[in-house]
Amino acid sequence: MGKIEWAMWANEQALAAGLILLTGGIVGVAGQFRDWEFAAYAIAAGVFVCLLEYPRGKRNKGTSVERTGQYCFTVCVKSFGPLTRNYYVRAFLHAAICVPGGFILATVLGCVCLGIASLIYLAAAIRGEQWEPILPRKESARKPVGESIKLPPQNPPPRPPAEMRRKRAEDLEAAAYVNPITVTANDD
Amino acid sequence: MALSVRSWVANEGGKHLVLVLWLGANTLLFMRTFLMYYCGQQYHYLHQMLGLGLCISRASASVLNLNCSLVLLPMCRSLLTYLRGTHTVRSRKARRLLDKSKTFHVACGVAICVFSVVHVSAHLVNVVNFSVRYSEEFPSLNVARYRGEDPRLIILTTVPGITGILLVLILFLMFTASSYCIRVSNYEIFWYTHNLFIVFYIILIVHVVGGALKYQTNFEAHPPGCLRANQTNPDKTEEESGQAVGDGWSCREEARFQPNSPETWLWVSGPLCLYCAERLYRYIRSYSPVTIVAVVRHPCDVIELRMLKKDFKAHPGQCPTEKKETLGIHLRVVGDWTERFTELLLPDPGAESEILPMVQQRRYPKLYVDGPFGSSSQEVFNYEVSLCVAGGIGVTPFACVLHALLDGWRHFRLRRLYFVWVCRELQSFYWFAELLCALHHKLWKENRPDYLNLQLFVSQTDGLQNISEERYRPLSSRLMIGRPRWKLLFEEIGRTNKHKRVGVFCCGPKGISRTLHGLCNSDRYSGTTFEFNKESFS
Repeated sequence: MGKIEWAMWANEQALAAGLILLTGGIVGVAGQFRDWEFAAYAIAAGVFVCLLEYPRGKRNKGTSVERTGQYCFTVCVKSFGPLTRNYYVRAFLHAAICVPGGFILATVLGCVCLGIASLIYLAAAIRGEQWEPILPRKESARKPVGESIKLPPQNPPPRPPAEMRRKRAEDLEAAAYVNPITVTANDD
Repeated sequence: MALSVRSWVANEGGKHLVLVLWLGANTLLFMRTFLMYYCGQQYHYLHQMLGLGLCISRASASVLNLNCSLVLLPMCRSLLTYLRGTHTVRSRKARRLLDKSKTFHVACGVAICVFSVVHVSAHLVNVVNFSVRYSEEFPSLNVARYRGEDPRLIILTTVPGITGILLVLILFLMFTASSYCIRVSNYEIFWYTHNLFIVFYIILIVHVVGGALKYQTNFEAHPPGCLRANQTNPDKTEEESGQAVGDGWSCREEARFQPNSPETWLWVSGPLCLYCAERLYRYIRSYSPVTIVAVVRHPCDVIELRMLKKDFKAHPGQCPTEKKETLGIHLRVVGDWTERFTELLLPDPGAESEILPMVQQRRYPKLYVDGPFGSSSQEVFNYEVSLCVAGGIGVTPFACVLHALLDGWRHFRLRRLYFVWVCRELQSFYWFAELLCALHHKLWKENRPDYLNLQLFVSQTDGLQNISEERYRPLSSRLMIGRPRWKLLFEEIGRTNKHKRVGVFCCGPKGISRTLHGLCNSDRYSGTTFEFNKESFS
């Protein structure tokens, strides 16, 4: 199936799974069910997963589309270096986070969804993908243009001597001349 | 830009009307089902056991029924093409609504996801209540086997529970793969996960068969809240025993319960059969491979493919045809599929210079083509004045329009066509240079040079800026450097076509289409109305 980047899909799944875990945790705590402590854990875990997965990684080829306002998250996630760059770490981290969600009903779905995301991350890691941050492109240095181009010309253009320039009515063809120096725009 | 009410209504009115109707239908269904479970006598005991969770879960289920049936209809593309092409739908306003079919599909999909979250949350609360408020008084109402049964066990051992989990997982896979980012970068993930819809629908129909929620069948004889027969006064008359809830009169019978009959298959089976028939029709129609007649490499990573397909019929504006039997496409080589396709079709450009040119039998891959499908660009011919704006490779829908005009322009309603084509590089114009010049010459010969008003723009100012070939003089004299100034263009079109309806057709990057959409809705053009139509490739 060509060069699919599985990590991008895994990222969407993990973000959605984090939200599902968060919602399940809120339902569990609000309903004050038995073992509601697991639901409280699920809220914290859901928030953590959402923050980790919010910044999208850079695509290998083509333009990468950022999520709104992700730059500050990119900077935070980037600062952890190889821990966040490597997808094996993310796969095992998500697998570990999702396990306690399976203990109460409200967070079971979040647990399963995060488990699926962790499997897709594992597949991405096996194919050698890595998380690259999307950083704003530096403005490419413009070609240095000499200052003199902004001033009006000081000298007239070069022309042959006046005798040659004078038009001779009897010999119009010979009166035509070719400019000795080529005149083109933006020569430098 | 001030918003003009008249322009806004002309452009956005139809869409927003459909949106309001759809929201109204959803709200009505939600409220009706909610009230039925909240106040209905036949659900009184169940409501007592489960509380608000019952009403919310059932109301969201009915909204889900509606949206699961509606979501399939905009995707019956052959049916929509038929409606659009044969003018079965007579009003142009209604045909413009067909352009928004993908948006409607997305809206229904989002509604399905949102209400699934509501439905699942409410049912999770219901399951806990089934377990905690196990009823000894009405044992047939229970889903749990004993009081305090682990709710997770209840879910895993009932049909609605397991099918519900599977449905959520499939919906999760489909939803996460449908974001714009994934569709643009890895389309196959989106395509293959979205084709899980058939599994989703089959499991959905099984999901409602479980019969977990029951209603009371004999609430006339046993008004909810009445006391048991052996506790009441047996002297009460029959009329008085049929009183309202909570009167404490005698019950003539024990409460009897029956599972709700499943409704989902009523909603869903029609659209599902229609969509499956549509897919079957498309498969049969594209069964025979096309014959590749010619492959041409164009500048700026574009290849043109000319093919022959038996029994291929397209309406004007549906695909570029030179003769009626052949069809051609231009495709831009951007991702891995198109690169591999190009490798299979064209020899490696480096190899040609080394080896002596031999006539090789080229083995082309087998190619199947599905279509043609209609698009908004077919409406170009139905306006008196049309403005077509193309960005880069987005010119291909309009190439069909130009081909159709080349075949014959007199019988269309169209009297004037403004054609604006913006490209980054000059060489891109060579893709259709022949076609544009041929049309220009034809119109000139037939004494209608004002029919086609052509404007070409090169947006990158530091590349080549001159088309030097003599045969492309009509293009080089209409070439402008820099981006077009849309406001001035609209003002000019408005001044020269007063009090007319101008169709604006855009196929290009989002920036251009947003600007044009805004201009069409604003108010400055001496009585001219601009109707915006967009075609997008993703």
